[in-house]
Amino acid sequence: MPAVEMLFDALLLLCMVVLAWQGVHARNMFRAVVSFMMFGLLTAVAWVRLEAPDIALAEASLGAGLTGVLLLATLGRLAPERRRPRPRQAMTLTVLPWLALGLAGTWVLLAVTLALPAPGLGEAVFAAMPEAGVDSPVTAVLLNFRAWDTLLEIAVMLLAVIGLWSLGQDVLASPSTLPAPSLPALVRLLFPLFLLSTFYLLWRGGHGPGGAFPAGALLAAGLVLALLAGARVPRRMTGAPMRWALGAGLLTFLIVAVGVMGYGEAFFAYPPEHASLLIAVVEIAAGLSIGVMLTALFLGGEPTDSRSERR
Amino acid sequence: MSLPPGTLFLLAAALLFAIGAHGLVTCRHLLRKVLALNVTTTGVFLLLVTLGRSGTGVDPVPHAMVLTGIVVALSTTAVALGLIVRLERRQP
Amino acid sequence: MSLPATATLVVILVTLPLAAATLLFASGRQPRTLTLAAALLLTFAALALGGNVYLEGVSVHAIGGWAAPLGIHWQVTPAGTVMLVATALVGLAGAVYGAGYFLHRPGPDGRMARVFMPLWLFAWGGLNALFVAADLFNLYVALEVLTLASVALVALSARRMALQAAMRYLLAGLFGSVIYLLGVALLYGQYGVLDFATLTAMLDPEDPGSRAGAVALTVGLLIKAAIFPLHFWLPGAHGRAEPPVSAMLSGLVVAAAFYLLLRLWFGPLAEMLSFGVGVLFGALGAGALFWGGMLALLQRRLKMLVAYSTVSQFGFAMLVFPLAGGDHRGTVFVGGTLLLANHALAKAALFLAAGTLVRASGSDRIGTLVGFAGRAHWAWLAVILASAALIGMPPTLGFSAKWLLLQAAVADGAWVWLGVMLGGTLLTFAYLGRLLELALLDPAPGPSPPPPLTAALLLPALLLALLACLAGLWAMDVEAIARLESGT
Repeated sequence: MPAVEMLFDALLLLCMVVLAWQGVHARNMFRAVVSFMMFGLLTAVAWVRLEAPDIALAEASLGAGLTGVLLLATLGRLAPERRRPRPRQAMTLTVLPWLALGLAGTWVLLAVTLALPAPGLGEAVFAAMPEAGVDSPVTAVLLNFRAWDTLLEIAVMLLAVIGLWSLGQDVLASPSTLPAPSLPALVRLLFPLFLLSTFYLLWRGGHGPGGAFPAGALLAAGLVLALLAGARVPRRMTGAPMRWALGAGLLTFLIVAVGVMGYGEAFFAYPPEHASLLIAVVEIAAGLSIGVMLTALFLGGEPTDSRSERR
Repeated sequence: MSLPPGTLFLLAAALLFAIGAHGLVTCRHLLRKVLALNVTTTGVFLLLVTLGRSGTGVDPVPHAMVLTGIVVALSTTAVALGLIVRLERRQP
Repeated sequence: MSLPATATLVVILVTLPLAAATLLFASGRQPRTLTLAAALLLTFAALALGGNVYLEGVSVHAIGGWAAPLGIHWQVTPAGTVMLVATALVGLAGAVYGAGYFLHRPGPDGRMARVFMPLWLFAWGGLNALFVAADLFNLYVALEVLTLASVALVALSARRMALQAAMRYLLAGLFGSVIYLLGVALLYGQYGVLDFATLTAMLDPEDPGSRAGAVALTVGLLIKAAIFPLHFWLPGAHGRAEPPVSAMLSGLVVAAAFYLLLRLWFGPLAEMLSFGVGVLFGALGAGALFWGGMLALLQRRLKMLVAYSTVSQFGFAMLVFPLAGGDHRGTVFVGGTLLLANHALAKAALFLAAGTLVRASGSDRIGTLVGFAGRAHWAWLAVILASAALIGMPPTLGFSAKWLLLQAAVADGAWVWLGVMLGGTLLTFAYLGRLLELALLDPAPGPSPPPPLTAALLLPALLLALLACLAGLWAMDVEAIARLESGT
């Protein structure tokens, strides 16, 4: 490996480790959260270095972006932290065992790499690509070879929304979270762009990095930005329409997974001639649902208006 | 000196895991615990992809696993933050 | 009449809960007849699957038709099916109980009543997905479904104590998941496969990286199964949740993590289960048995007593590992599985009955519980039957399970573990007996007029406890045990 790249990696990873430490231990909670967000962005760069552009996209939008906004919004709702001063010595004493653990862990990891070559499933994936119905190997794994994982993962997300809603009404979205006067106009200008990029990423997912998750994240980013700029969830959208939009991704996924059994196939076995179409249907439904679910996670509770309608 | 490829990343992954695990145990504030947990998770993700890479060519399966993992991590973080806010409001 | 194909039944078991939960949530309505119909259908599917597996034995299903190691596989084993049936019985009982319970306690603006059933079905689906999975990463996702559903269920009442317990549970559960995932990463790095069958064939028990992976998988699951000394999160979460929730968490969710531990150490990791590892597991188990038992003896609140009893009972289950080293591996595995099933039914019955008694008494302090007055005696009957099953009196399922383990211990001359088992049983007898003694010899008058106890609050617990007792008769059949063993 060229020395320059090595140096770059070393610096990048060093910064990540320092920022991670800051993100957990910075004296001021706000600084901790901002460090954590920067840590997320650098992690996205690390994914690029590891030749994982799909993960980099998801990390930048979800891991750093949306998580960061969520953290900041939460921070605004919390009282300042009460810190109890701790004696210096006790601190080092608690650090020591963990340091030992880290070193031991490192040693183990090195031992593992030295015992390589790891075969991996790469060859099996590439051998099966002609029947996958998509061109991008990662999308093929996510929506075909290991689609059952992805279905359960969307269930996890919906579950998070339901869990948050069961705690009470929305608490995070207040109109004046960001004091930026030009934001509403800017958002109005940008919102169509967000929608356009969402569909671009959905379409692109079949060929290269992209697909349902980054697309959903982008859609959510647009919606969250609109909420931060003071937009409210329209009254007629809360309640039933929003709930169906939230559930649509999982339901479509389930219908397709079980529906292919009507062709006499196994669970989730897309008939080869329809694979592309079915995957596209699942991807679009999942992408849109993910966008709405992420926005709902940002809202942090059931939108206030929907309650009266249910009675 | 030539290190095997990915050694630096493995080292960083182990350090991140240790920082996160340590923070989760020692920090008192719940928000810090959540941040620490996320750092730990990132360490494991780095490990997963780095190990998947050191074979022959790029293996897409760990990529898919990490993508799934990122979404799961975000969902659980959102629930944890919701709980923290509610707990704060019910402070006696 | 022929039963539907095994594959169809598995698909019903894993997809119907998710679909029903999503539909309930999206429609915003709570059609009670439809949810109960879904629960009944799931129960029938589980029972039919039980029939199939009894006749046909183990079957493997490739999801999406992708052969191993590329695709994900379901492996329907006799032990997994026992857990699926137990899940269905507890799931159905909890759904009926919940319908009755939240009718009179709907929570702020009816939220509890509205959210309970979707979350319950998600947890049910997660459990079903977990018991058929044979893929390391798929299990991780299924575990996350289960964790998130459980946390949301614990937080249901939105009381401060419940929220605190839910938060602690969430952090512990997620930390357990991350450590489990670390194990998955290490093993994947070494072998490049995720599915159990291929992994079993490839695993090299001497390799340090694989050992590190095995340790990580195990530690993660030990946290999730609340095995002493990692049980710190359990009593709060189980003791402070609403009664049907406690029933599912204590009976099934903990058991699911433990079942995975069994699955791994009797499957892919079997060759690593050396004498030392077994002794370590056994020591943890003995610690849990006595620590949990002592704390259960000291509790003043009914539900906390039952929660600590879970810590203690899973200590008992840990004793299967030191016994597995001998010549009776199959018997021990079946004993462990039956122990889990017995605990699922009996503990769920105990928590449901406890919820009814707490409602009848207006308080959950053991000294203030009502006695046999009015319809509460049905709840007490359930408590007595469930206690008998937990202690392991013949002819309950608990007896059959413990008998199998005792046989193995005697045959191998494992006198230490035999002593631990007997001591643990005595301790179980002591704390459950204390409960009965306090309440029955010195019952409180209870509030007047007594709150109404509908059949929905009484029958589910009673039937579950009865099943735990009667299933023991079936499990005494040598033929049945042999068929269960064929899966290992």
